[in-house]
Amino acid sequence: MKPTYKQVIANWGNFPVVEKEIKSEDSTKKIKEYVRNHHDIIARGNGRCYGDAALSENIFSTKRLNKFISFDRLNGIIECESGILLSDVLEVIVPQGYFLFVTPGTKFVTIGGAIASDVHGKNHHAEGCFSEYVMEFSLLNEEGDVLPCSRNQNSEKFWSTIGGMGLTGIILSAKFKLKNIESSYIRQESIKAENLDEIFKLFEESESWTYNVAWIDCLQTDKNLGRSIMMRGEHAFKHELPKKLQGNPLKLKMGSSPSIPFYFPNFVLNNLTVKIFNLLYYFRQSKKEVKSFVHYEQFFYPLDIVNDWNKIYGKSGFIQYQMVIPKESGKEGMKKILETIAKSGNGSFLAVLKLFGKNNPDAYNSFPFEGYTLALDFKVNSKLKKLVSQLDSIVEEFGGRIYLTKDSMSKSSLTNYLQNVQNPKFISMQQKRIDNN
Amino acid sequence: MIVLGSNSEIAQAFVEKALSAGERFSQIYLLTSNRETTEKFAKHLEVKFVQQSQIIEMDLLKPINYAVLEGLTSDLLFCATGYLGLGTAEGLYDNKNTERIIDINFAKLVPVLNFFAEKMERQRSGTMIVLSSVAGERGRQSNFIYGSAKAGLTAYLSGLRNYLFNKKVHVLTIKPGFMATKMTEGLPLNPKLTASPKQAATGIYKAYKTKKDVAYILPMWRIIMLVIKNIPEFIFKKLKL
Repeated sequence: MKPTYKQVIANWGNFPVVEKEIKSEDSTKKIKEYVRNHHDIIARGNGRCYGDAALSENIFSTKRLNKFISFDRLNGIIECESGILLSDVLEVIVPQGYFLFVTPGTKFVTIGGAIASDVHGKNHHAEGCFSEYVMEFSLLNEEGDVLPCSRNQNSEKFWSTIGGMGLTGIILSAKFKLKNIESSYIRQESIKAENLDEIFKLFEESESWTYNVAWIDCLQTDKNLGRSIMMRGEHAFKHELPKKLQGNPLKLKMGSSPSIPFYFPNFVLNNLTVKIFNLLYYFRQSKKEVKSFVHYEQFFYPLDIVNDWNKIYGKSGFIQYQMVIPKESGKEGMKKILETIAKSGNGSFLAVLKLFGKNNPDAYNSFPFEGYTLALDFKVNSKLKKLVSQLDSIVEEFGGRIYLTKDSMSKSSLTNYLQNVQNPKFISMQQKRIDNN
Repeated sequence: MIVLGSNSEIAQAFVEKALSAGERFSQIYLLTSNRETTEKFAKHLEVKFVQQSQIIEMDLLKPINYAVLEGLTSDLLFCATGYLGLGTAEGLYDNKNTERIIDINFAKLVPVLNFFAEKMERQRSGTMIVLSSVAGERGRQSNFIYGSAKAGLTAYLSGLRNYLFNKKVHVLTIKPGFMATKMTEGLPLNPKLTASPKQAATGIYKAYKTKKDVAYILPMWRIIMLVIKNIPEFIFKKLKL
């Protein structure tokens, strides 16, 4: 049996699927050797980016860089290798009264991926991106040297790597700050909005809340356009909790999750089923406003409860389309986008609306800037390319951009915002596609 | 707990599994020939489980300093020491390769296992968990040097289990089939027959708790090996396995 490192591989959207070389090492010496002897390399963590960002001729998997390095329990600072998942971090820190300052909608991304994508969460308007809390990281560059990067040391590399989609090198380890919590529960208010006007008003009223997000039924039209449910939340203090939760306020919900055992056949997800799902979801909550305490798992990671949920989109896969539109024209832009989607009949099973706050000008490669962001899942089919191009035109018209971490088919004028990342060694399929367009 | 071959992903996954299940050890002794990567693991255990561990350098290809091992006592030993080496096509007539395979998997390993067996015999308690291989169940043309070393190890473990039985020491032989580890990275393995270190750790921990004597990682392998063992030799010799 001769070693062959070629594997059939795709990221979370199962689109595109390619056959490429994947290699994984855990010793710095061997990783250096690998980088010196290969070209067209991209680092890949847990493959939770959606499109072609973590694909290249040679993929370096960081799955073996999976060790914690240190934990300052007094000051809430943790250091670990880049292949550690957010879920691994949470398991260690939550029982100690800490939480991640910024988390995306899945806990199954690696720390390296969180930095390379500079992920954001439901609190961007209040607390910014992941990078705000990163103190330092080590980066293996094209020469095979390990550079310590921070705001003071190799700061140019530090900022270009943040949101740099892995094009500056391989992140080996990182140190970042944690947030104090008294409980692992979120005090949540969920409020129904009948249309776009109502949901935008709710966002403006909710700016003082740490976490805000809205789920939108994107198949509604006319006076129901923008029908949605807003969920806002705060980390609950221990004394606020109902008595029965106070006994174990820092509980980690663990236990096995159900899995999707196979790719769903194509007919399962169609306009009708999406419509029914959205209807059920909207009317599940009968009152206009519901206040409750929910576990952080349910609040931040509702989809993580089902393993491999990407398989419901079938073998042809799906894309996630996430754009941001400047705040002043946010409502108008979203209206046009939602109308276009409803007209196309290409329903999105999951549509999430959020408000971004001001961007950090130092983190110039980060996706978010002040404005409204909408994320939509679309099944890949013959009509999709046309819809994406229509949506791209609207985003462009309003001066928006597309999130690279989720992109696999958008216009290059909306995705070519990275600076100082041109590198002879590290290049992804995504970057090649953008460069060639 | 004493771990031989601490850099093995299965060994590390087993240690994590035991600690996650709530077991605590006054000390974990990590025996290894590679201090750098084991140090990372030791720090990891400290952060994740607040568990102390101590690294002891031991290279089976060099003389063993038993004086250093003298102070190590524990009720649980996990041995994942192993070396795949080159298969028949590339390595059969390479004596260095052959010697390395036999030394690491059997010849130099057995005296070390004996050393710890004696300690457990004296304390009249303990469990020794040792990774052997399905490759040891029948010599196949593709890698029979490795297979024969593992066959020797399996026979040794079976005898040791028998000898230590009435001395209250338990010996558990693990026969992993294909494993997705550094050792096999890049080999074209059937994913349905290949276990991850985490899966392996869960299975081994269960076998340890239920005092199994011999355990396979994936149940399928018991059947596969049953078939392979029962093919008559006159047919087997013609097969390309």
